[in-house]
Amino acid sequence: MNCLEFRRAAMVDPRRLDTEALGHAEGCPACGVFLAEALEFEAQIRNSLDIPVPHGLQERVVRNAVDAPRISRRQALAAGLALVAAAGGAGLLWRRDDPLALAGIDFVVFEEAQAILDAKPADAASLQRAAYQTGIVLPAQLGEIRYVGTCPFAGGTAHHVVLKTTFGKATLLLLPGRPFGTRLIASARGLHAAITPASGGSVAIIADSSRSISRIETVLKSG
Amino acid sequence: MRVPGRRAGFDRAVESYFGALYRYAYWLCRNRWQAEDIVQESLLRAWRAWPALREERALKSWLFTIVHREHLRAATRVPHTHSDAGAEEAGYDPDPGGALDMEQALQELADDSREALLLQVLGGFTCAEIAQVLGASEGAVMTRLTRARQALRRQLGAAGGATGTAREPRTA
Repeated sequence: MNCLEFRRAAMVDPRRLDTEALGHAEGCPACGVFLAEALEFEAQIRNSLDIPVPHGLQERVVRNAVDAPRISRRQALAAGLALVAAAGGAGLLWRRDDPLALAGIDFVVFEEAQAILDAKPADAASLQRAAYQTGIVLPAQLGEIRYVGTCPFAGGTAHHVVLKTTFGKATLLLLPGRPFGTRLIASARGLHAAITPASGGSVAIIADSSRSISRIETVLKSG
Repeated sequence: MRVPGRRAGFDRAVESYFGALYRYAYWLCRNRWQAEDIVQESLLRAWRAWPALREERALKSWLFTIVHREHLRAATRVPHTHSDAGAEEAGYDPDPGGALDMEQALQELADDSREALLLQVLGGFTCAEIAQVLGASEGAVMTRLTRARQALRRQLGAAGGATGTAREPRTA
């Protein structure tokens, strides 16, 4: 190891140097000084970050977590989305951004990561069953399927699929038994959503561009 | 129905990591009240997901990942309008000299560099573990950490030897 390599390693993590780096510092006075100063600087950083925890916060947080009602944010969101869907049916469909399609975007932005973290992933067979019930097939041209699971959506259960496509990441929510008469669209938070009717239900597609959505719709229709 | 031992395991984890989780949340958002909310929501999620936790050894990075995601969610929900920078913390009496300069310098770091540095210093994570929490490559994390330290040294005028300018390093 030379001095340059040593200093690069020390700038990444001076407290976790390997034996080769430490051996270099012992044999090289300049790098020895560099390391001593780097460790002193680390102590300054550590001291600055070491703010006190507010008195009683830990006990309060644990108490609130353990004793919280069992309704989860996802369940609350599902109930809220059902309300949004009902409101949409009651006359808010004049808006360009359809509430249900917006709900799909909100799901991706606020809940998808946690849904993936919390849920038990479903298997490929259950996805194929859901696709069959919805009246679609999922051809390989769609892209790589990275996650399959179920989630509450718009007052019901959706089959949640995360895809890695050539246009980037996309989310599908399969809604078997829930056909919507027309194609519903929305655009918000840098994402686009379309809810596309199928013979046995609908498919919500959420992606970062309308081009990706159009391509996915085309592939689904050709499948 | 609570899994036997769930509460005990949860309490142990909180006891071990609460301070670091709170500080991580605080330095992400620079707002005490928001940090409390982030930690509260994160531990609520952790408690609910506890029965599904399979690898106890991944516990620390799992908790930090939840805090990181909760911070992103909070930042999306509520625009960050102000910070506690300069606000007096009860019982907190920082060295008015270097500590405040360091705080300011930390605040001015790019978000991705600061996140990586916080995880390393507060969480004690390796680059590979930080990469996992942040969803980045290990190489990207190493770059962020180097940039963070370079920026801090530049802003604080750290000793020339530490920046490699006092003496020419050997290159072979």
